[in-house]
Amino acid sequence: MAGKGKRGTQADELDLVPIMNLVTILIPFLLMASSFVSLAAIDSTLPAIGQPPPPEEQDDEEPLNLSVAITDEGFTVMGGDATLKPEGEEKGATIPCTKPNCPTPEAYDIKELTRLLVQIKDSWEDEQNVILVPESQVPYEVLVRTMDATREDPDTVDGAGNRELFPFVVIAGGAQ
Amino acid sequence: MGKKKSRRSPQDAGLTITSMMDMMTIILVFLLKSYQTDDLSVAASDDLQIPLSSAEKTPKLAVNVVVSRKDVVVDGAWVLDLTEITSEETGEPELAVPLDEKRGQLVSKLYEVLLEKAETAKDLGARAGSDNYDFKGEILLQIDKRMPFSVVREIMFTAGQAQFGNFRFVVIKGGGT
Repeated sequence: MAGKGKRGTQADELDLVPIMNLVTILIPFLLMASSFVSLAAIDSTLPAIGQPPPPEEQDDEEPLNLSVAITDEGFTVMGGDATLKPEGEEKGATIPCTKPNCPTPEAYDIKELTRLLVQIKDSWEDEQNVILVPESQVPYEVLVRTMDATREDPDTVDGAGNRELFPFVVIAGGAQ
Repeated sequence: MGKKKSRRSPQDAGLTITSMMDMMTIILVFLLKSYQTDDLSVAASDDLQIPLSSAEKTPKLAVNVVVSRKDVVVDGAWVLDLTEITSEETGEPELAVPLDEKRGQLVSKLYEVLLEKAETAKDLGARAGSDNYDFKGEILLQIDKRMPFSVVREIMFTAGQAQFGNFRFVVIKGGGT
């Protein structure tokens, strides 16, 4: 009895080891479980169903109908305006992949696509719609990268951030 | 002198653990807090790798369709499995919706599930009476980045037929040139 002394002094007696066990297990688990990724969403509407955004240009101007086809060789940019067709090209400007037959999503030359779209945007300031026409075997990742390329230009910054190019995307059935 | 020293050392050992406990507890509380704030959970795995994008808009809650390399899951409920076929154009294996699951471009099981959800949502919207709950046809699409566009097209077509015309593609922030 005398040897035991005061048992109320908790500062000396508090056993922290079980709590440490708990914390040591929980922290690696939570670190692995909480992936520090933030999600975003890209909006798109079907052409026939849903409301496509109204075009802003006047009725007497010919609509641009800008469309970008994604094929297994690269991008083909087409539009209603004849100025988009370079000499000798039937359909429109072609931007080939950096490697033949586009083996990986990185081979698609989106920088060049953005550059071409900036030129088009310079002539058609009010146009905001673009139609994407991917081929059947094009991977989804390429489609997302193309949507990034058509939405904004990271190299030009105006008042509200990156310069907006053609933010309203419609995905069409496919190019065969 | 000797007795004082020997009585001090166990107390020093106790204090060291206490300060580590402080640090660990703060980290734990922080992780617990950040673990809870995802309303949209993306179960990333080998079969579902979401592409990166420079998009900024945050996703709102809507019907959630997850298309991974194995199967299609709508709001947590499995709908159908995907299969691997040899592509006619490239001759290489690629993912596709099994032929017996679709009629043309329409994926039957997915169409039924989505149509039912659309009807339920419209019903709820009508009963709620406020514009906030109106059925807007929004659908969230989480698709593996390697999925060929043919599958994406069929999913989108089916969703469109089931009156979900407002697609929101879920991407991970951080991509872009």
